[in-house]
Amino acid sequence: MKKTLMVLILIAILILLPLFAGKYVIYMTIHILLLSLFSLGFNLLFGYTGLLSFGHAGFYAVGAYACAKILLAAPSLLVGIVGGVIFAGLVSLLLGLLCIRHTRIYFSMLTLCFGMMIFSLAWKWRDMTGGDDGLVGIPRAPLEIPGLLRISVAAMESYYYIVLVFSILAIFIFYRLVKSPLGLTLQGIRDSETRAACVGISVRNYRLISFTIAGLYAGLAGALLPPLENTVTPPVAHWSHSAEPVLATLLGGIYTFAGPIVGAFLFYIIKDIIVRFTEYWLICLGVIVLVLVLGFRGGVVSIFSGKGGTG
Amino acid sequence: MKEIIRTEGLAKYFGELAAVHAVNFSLKEGLFTSIIGPNGAGKTTLINLMSGYLFPDAGRVFFRGTEITKTPAHKRVKMGISRSFQIMNIFPRLTVFQNILLPVLSHLNKNSQAFSTLGSQREAVEETEKILNEVWLWEEKDSPAAALSHGDQRLLELGIAVATNPQVCFLDEPSSGMNPIERIKVLELVKKLSAERKTTFAIVEHDMDVVFSLSDWIVVMNRGEILAEGKPDEIRDNQEVRDIYLGEEI
Repeated sequence: MKKTLMVLILIAILILLPLFAGKYVIYMTIHILLLSLFSLGFNLLFGYTGLLSFGHAGFYAVGAYACAKILLAAPSLLVGIVGGVIFAGLVSLLLGLLCIRHTRIYFSMLTLCFGMMIFSLAWKWRDMTGGDDGLVGIPRAPLEIPGLLRISVAAMESYYYIVLVFSILAIFIFYRLVKSPLGLTLQGIRDSETRAACVGISVRNYRLISFTIAGLYAGLAGALLPPLENTVTPPVAHWSHSAEPVLATLLGGIYTFAGPIVGAFLFYIIKDIIVRFTEYWLICLGVIVLVLVLGFRGGVVSIFSGKGGTG
Repeated sequence: MKEIIRTEGLAKYFGELAAVHAVNFSLKEGLFTSIIGPNGAGKTTLINLMSGYLFPDAGRVFFRGTEITKTPAHKRVKMGISRSFQIMNIFPRLTVFQNILLPVLSHLNKNSQAFSTLGSQREAVEETEKILNEVWLWEEKDSPAAALSHGDQRLLELGIAVATNPQVCFLDEPSSGMNPIERIKVLELVKKLSAERKTTFAIVEHDMDVVFSLSDWIVVMNRGEILAEGKPDEIRDNQEVRDIYLGEEI
């Protein structure tokens, strides 16, 4: 009950945010929401299924580039975002088929490789992706359902609400998912893959499902980016971008539902505070993550929920 | 009596070592069967081959007359073959309740349901509660499995193995690491489960007193082969069996 109340208060604050916050805070909040979605999906694979991916920026980039291409061709926000998500889902399904054949470090290396392949494509395939210039001039197209409604989201505050609605929906779906039989099955595979197989679970199929859902969430986060920034450039596919959900999840907590969301928030806050003092903010963030991993394996959320490392 | 599992010339080699060699094994439905033999006799490997955890290098495995030699473990479970492990293999981060719920959901083919809550799975929840009571773990249902005592974890392992409602269940040393009192308790439980459920149990066990008092049928393995099999009395009088146990009272 207390949890529901907290969530409702949080949602209310987010809805009212544009009334009292400036542009910069709105912009930051959009980025926090995007990293939350990205990290949630990533954590389905990591915390729930036990597979550490170092390549999910690849799917983020597929979502972003696909959405950008669609918006450049046909300026309809909904088509762009949904198209980006579907495209990212398809690519992650295909690459997932190859990656989930392995686990542990081999899985991580495979995802890293595929992630960097996508980065190379973004960098080199100039005709399609604009190369190192990226895609520019992407319109913040109106939200349009022909004959039904047409909402302009040209102002950042309006676009913020689009991101917020998508985020709340996606987070709600994710919550249902991890509390469902499917969520339990993935956690079983994480705990013991041999035991899971010996109670009748097709480990590979469920890993693939998990991988694809993680790709869909990365794709959604990616697809929401181009209308905000009006550009997409190759660094969104870089492996260092894949590290962001890893860090956010470790910060917030691997074995809790809210961990990646809290982590995404902290990631941006810490970054925002530290860059005021030094450009070497990653060193400071690294130290913080190190302390958390050594001292509080369950991340920040576990400190407050009093669960320690067990989650 | 009907055969539920049968193997033909089954073999598995680890390098030069013949862990299992030309084994023709058959398990008769409803007979509580024990597989015994010295360390390294191939008992666990035989279970691994029949449950699909390993695939054989030669030979074939049949389940009720259907060949399953190449069938993966998870499909064999769906057919009705289940097992427990010698080395603890539970879901340590899940609660005791979830440890049993997961195989029950698997048995009911509900694992892929993505949008229903666990609590709404009435049938599965009821079955899970029943099993938790059967293996005496009701009181512990909300603890993480990793927090249980060793003995309780063995009980949980047993619960997981029967939760898919198998026709045949292999138990690999269900009482390993337990003290003598716990040991008798858990084996009595196995006996009770075998009487109440329509499951044929085959266990690997080292405690000869227990084996001879519980079993309907005993299979003796040595060096990857079946040395002898028969009723407990016949095995007791078998000279070869006495020899491999170095004259131990059996």
